[in-house]
Amino acid sequence: MLQHLKKYWIFALLAPLFMLGEASMDLLQPTLMSSIVDDGVLGLNNNGVGDLDIVFHMGIRMLLLILFGAVCGIMSGVCANIAAQNFGNDLRKDAFGHIMHFSFAQTDRFTTGSLITRVTNDITQVQNMVQMGIRGFVRTLTLLVGGVICITRLHSSFGGILLVAMPLIILVLYVFLSRVTPQFSVLQNRLDDVNNVMQENVSGNRVVKAYIREAYENERFGKSNEKLVETQLSILLLLNYMTPIMNILLNLSLLAVIYIGGLEAQNWEISPGQVMAAVTYLTQILNALMRMGMFFQNISRGMASAQRVREVIHTEPEIKDGEKTDIPYAGGSVEFRDVSFAYAGREEILSDINLSVKPGETIGILGMTGSGKSSLMQLIPRFYDVTKGSVRIDGVDVREYPLAELRSRVAVALQKSELFHRSIRENIAWGDAEASEEELWKAAGIAQASDFIKGKEEGLDTIVSQSGHSLSGGQKQRVAIARAVLKKAEILIFDDSTSALDLKTESSLYQALKEAYPEQTKLIVAQRIASVKDADRIIVLEDGHIAACGSHEELLESSEIYRDICQSQSGTQQNATESGKGGVANG
Amino acid sequence: MAETPQKSIRDYKVPGMGGGRRMADRGKKTEKAKDQKGTFKQMLRYFANEKRAVVLLLFMVTLAVVCGILAPRLQSSAIDAITQRQFTEIPKILGFMAGVYAVSCLAAYLQGRASAYISQRTVKHMRQDLFEKIIQLPVGYLDTHSHGDIMSRMTNDVENVSTTISQSLSSLFSGLLTVFGTVVMMFYLCPPLAALSCTTVLFTVFATKYLSAAMRKTYTKRQSLLGSLNGTVEEMVGGYRTVVAYEKEEQIITDFTEISDDLTKVGIKAEILGGSMGPVMNLINNTGFVIIAAFGGYFALKGSISVGIISAFIVYAKQFGRPVDEIAQVWGQVQSALAGAERVFAIMNEQPEDKSGETKMNELPEDPDIVFENVNFSYVEGQRVLKDFSLQVKPGQKIALVGATGSGKTTVVNLLMRFYKPDSGRILVGGKDIFEINCDSLRDAIAIVLQDTVLFADTVRKNLKYADQEISDEEMIACAKQCHVDSMIRKLEKGYDTELTADASNISRGQQQLLSITRAFISAPRILILDEATSNVDTRTEKRIQDAMVRLMKGRTSLVIAHRLSTIRDADRIVVLDQGRIVETGTHDELLAAGGKYRDLYMTQFAGQET
Repeated sequence: MLQHLKKYWIFALLAPLFMLGEASMDLLQPTLMSSIVDDGVLGLNNNGVGDLDIVFHMGIRMLLLILFGAVCGIMSGVCANIAAQNFGNDLRKDAFGHIMHFSFAQTDRFTTGSLITRVTNDITQVQNMVQMGIRGFVRTLTLLVGGVICITRLHSSFGGILLVAMPLIILVLYVFLSRVTPQFSVLQNRLDDVNNVMQENVSGNRVVKAYIREAYENERFGKSNEKLVETQLSILLLLNYMTPIMNILLNLSLLAVIYIGGLEAQNWEISPGQVMAAVTYLTQILNALMRMGMFFQNISRGMASAQRVREVIHTEPEIKDGEKTDIPYAGGSVEFRDVSFAYAGREEILSDINLSVKPGETIGILGMTGSGKSSLMQLIPRFYDVTKGSVRIDGVDVREYPLAELRSRVAVALQKSELFHRSIRENIAWGDAEASEEELWKAAGIAQASDFIKGKEEGLDTIVSQSGHSLSGGQKQRVAIARAVLKKAEILIFDDSTSALDLKTESSLYQALKEAYPEQTKLIVAQRIASVKDADRIIVLEDGHIAACGSHEELLESSEIYRDICQSQSGTQQNATESGKGGVANG
Repeated sequence: MAETPQKSIRDYKVPGMGGGRRMADRGKKTEKAKDQKGTFKQMLRYFANEKRAVVLLLFMVTLAVVCGILAPRLQSSAIDAITQRQFTEIPKILGFMAGVYAVSCLAAYLQGRASAYISQRTVKHMRQDLFEKIIQLPVGYLDTHSHGDIMSRMTNDVENVSTTISQSLSSLFSGLLTVFGTVVMMFYLCPPLAALSCTTVLFTVFATKYLSAAMRKTYTKRQSLLGSLNGTVEEMVGGYRTVVAYEKEEQIITDFTEISDDLTKVGIKAEILGGSMGPVMNLINNTGFVIIAAFGGYFALKGSISVGIISAFIVYAKQFGRPVDEIAQVWGQVQSALAGAERVFAIMNEQPEDKSGETKMNELPEDPDIVFENVNFSYVEGQRVLKDFSLQVKPGQKIALVGATGSGKTTVVNLLMRFYKPDSGRILVGGKDIFEINCDSLRDAIAIVLQDTVLFADTVRKNLKYADQEISDEEMIACAKQCHVDSMIRKLEKGYDTELTADASNISRGQQQLLSITRAFISAPRILILDEATSNVDTRTEKRIQDAMVRLMKGRTSLVIAHRLSTIRDADRIVVLDQGRIVETGTHDELLAAGGKYRDLYMTQFAGQET
């Protein structure tokens, strides 16, 4: 991660140097003031006769020094900013680029929510930490160390006072911060609890009302709320001890300085101006010490973020481009050879799948929830890699394709239609950026989307809102399908992507698709028999195996599972068999 | 109806305990409450509960301020004693100082305690009140308002209001008091030097104003760029599968780089201005220091003040420069907190759901009939969803509603459950208008299973017993067996004690639906409503559930909404809806024979099977 900062090393180096300048000027002030008092006012070196010239001379010197200090301060700010913001920017771009090249398995491992937080919040945290580190930290440290040197030079016994006070302050800081820090994660959990109950009740309000559980939910929320407040209060109360205790230590040291200063002044060891300077230094030092405590707290938080960001940028994308180029098009054949697949750390979900799909063939895939239908489809564009065996497109193992080449041959309409916050036109045009208006409408037409798009006031330019309120579930699915159709890839995969469409719409969609692109290889995952009935072949997956394979009519004859599915969808057993016979007769 | 919203990370904040944002808030545009007075009044009611703590807080603040003003005066006496070589005085003065410091520390401690209690107790009450209000709101409110927005009022605003108010108000109070006391003390000690010190205040005010104004512009721009950056990340990482499927990675990265670079440019500009705030303030403070040292020296030479007074002035100048700088910011915070409070109260002042109605369900016949009489309804004015809808469901009948998406099927359920009120017409249950029936009692008698399954982050057991926690385990398991979920549940990690995660993401969608169906069965309703309840269960599992359903629905009035016509073949009557109107009713066979819309639908589903 430091490599990202290296590029801006000049600024990263200049910022603390300038800060050193500013802080040193601050440190000089009390000493100059003490000479105003001692030499100017009291005239200690002049037998008690004051000298107005010294007062004003010193005053002007002080003014010049602070002006210099201010310039240093501003320059330090500028440098720290340039370094930190550019660093943050590079880091952010690097992390985002990494994520875009992750495999699905890697995104699953991180979870998208966590990835989003890492790119946004965590990077901002790290950036702030760097900025603060090279400015505030240096400033505080300079004031601290410089102050100690200055005060000890005034009189060694002042150093002695610090020797007692500083470890005590550090001890207090340590004790409280180490007790409070673990509580912060407890706090986060409690806060999550409260938010979860809230979220559940807001989105599940119908269920709460339908079961008249308002009182119960109130009580449940009350409990989470109580726990949260308890934790928050205990943290606040714990932290509340800190300020008074620190103040006591600071004030006691102050009293000690004045007391010892008085004693030493009695012996002419020290001048009144020096006592005043010592008081000012002491306040500076102890304030710096307390701020140091806060810095450590912030830095530990920043480091945690840095760790999370590092995990992202140190994760190498595990799915890499294949080497082969110039792979000839062969009409879009798909072959699964002895394919087994398991999600990381889980049981095998597909075992020994063998299937060969001819170019232009339409395959329907049925099976129970969790039988591995979607997983099987996701192996084709290499969203996941097989654990055993191989998947071949146009006769070549998908792992040998460059990823862009592979994915340009496959269009997928996913189960969850993800649309982006842009116009319908732009969403569809993802399939083909160069598509003409006519082609866009053609794709929309095949997806049975043109009617509702025309019905919108702004037509294709209607913006798909983020919350999804502008389009219904079925409309979203159709836009996503239009997008996939527009891609005009050799292979088209519908992964349960028509579930929100009513049957009539769905069947017109398949009909239109068949007419428009008969040569396309189509793989259709579905729940309903009606969706796949007209496919050339239908595959029934069960427990990760192909349990049956054949046309609708063949399967009605030969497969018990298929008949079972049919029957569950159409009514009685008898009906299914009869209709099966009818189908064969028709065929 | 409204879709379940996705949680948006933009709505969440790290649990801040207030404070620590002062520098960052500089230059940000302060948001103001529209009705400050009214909001303030409503908020005062929360603080009124904490009267004793508030009084203690104010008293302690005053005490601390008085100590803070006394201490430098004592310090100056000590310095004078040194200068004038009256060393016997010193221990006495130090003794006094120790006393003042002790009181001041005690006051600071008690002040912090009081403020913690006040803020936490008010936040607790406010959060609880808001929650209670939200679950009493009519379903229509939640359907039409962004859930993210409601969540953010709950999480951000409530927290912001209580901490800011209790902390800012006390620092505002203490700041004003300190400025006043210090100025009085300085003028008492040396009027000309006091007047000179006050000039630095003018500098402070001027610098703050000028810099903040300059910063505001770039900050606003940065804020909006940050928003669009976060939006892009959220959208593209969330929709990452699609990005990858369409090989748009490089294009997205380019887009992102552009926004990110813009943000950095604006960010550097904004932060350079913001970053100079510190040095500028330091410059002003140090100038004040010089003024006091030089002019103080001058006055001391003239003999009008002592050296000790100079040392007191150094402390005073610091003490009163800080609050002056802070007051403007704190005032801004109080205003934005008031704006937050207004958003919170906006929900609290909403009309709660109308739950009126005297008649209890048990006063009605055991098996009530349901009658819709000429019901008209629209979610948005002018867009009728149900038009002159009339339907009679006899006791124990199973009625199925079919029709295309948007034909108004779910609306029928919404009205029957009293989630919404019809524009005109009546709905009768057991011969009684549902608005004359006690709302809780009505809902108790009806069980619904919804399209969007809602399960709670709790154990499976608690979820199943949601309607009635008193039900015995035996009964629960018996029901689960009838729904064919017992074996599935036992296969889960901890069986019935498996904790579901938020969104129940640790079980499949199908399993979620099975659980929600079982939950409805366990509640033993008189009327059963299934709204697309089995759309995510594969058809064979669905068939099994239906076998159980047939048994359970026997003698029970039920309404079934489904896409899959197979699930409703055996309904006593099928009602076909089209654009809010009933276009056909009859049994499966009758409708098939009639050759209308139902037959169309049916044939698309089973074309080729029924010949």
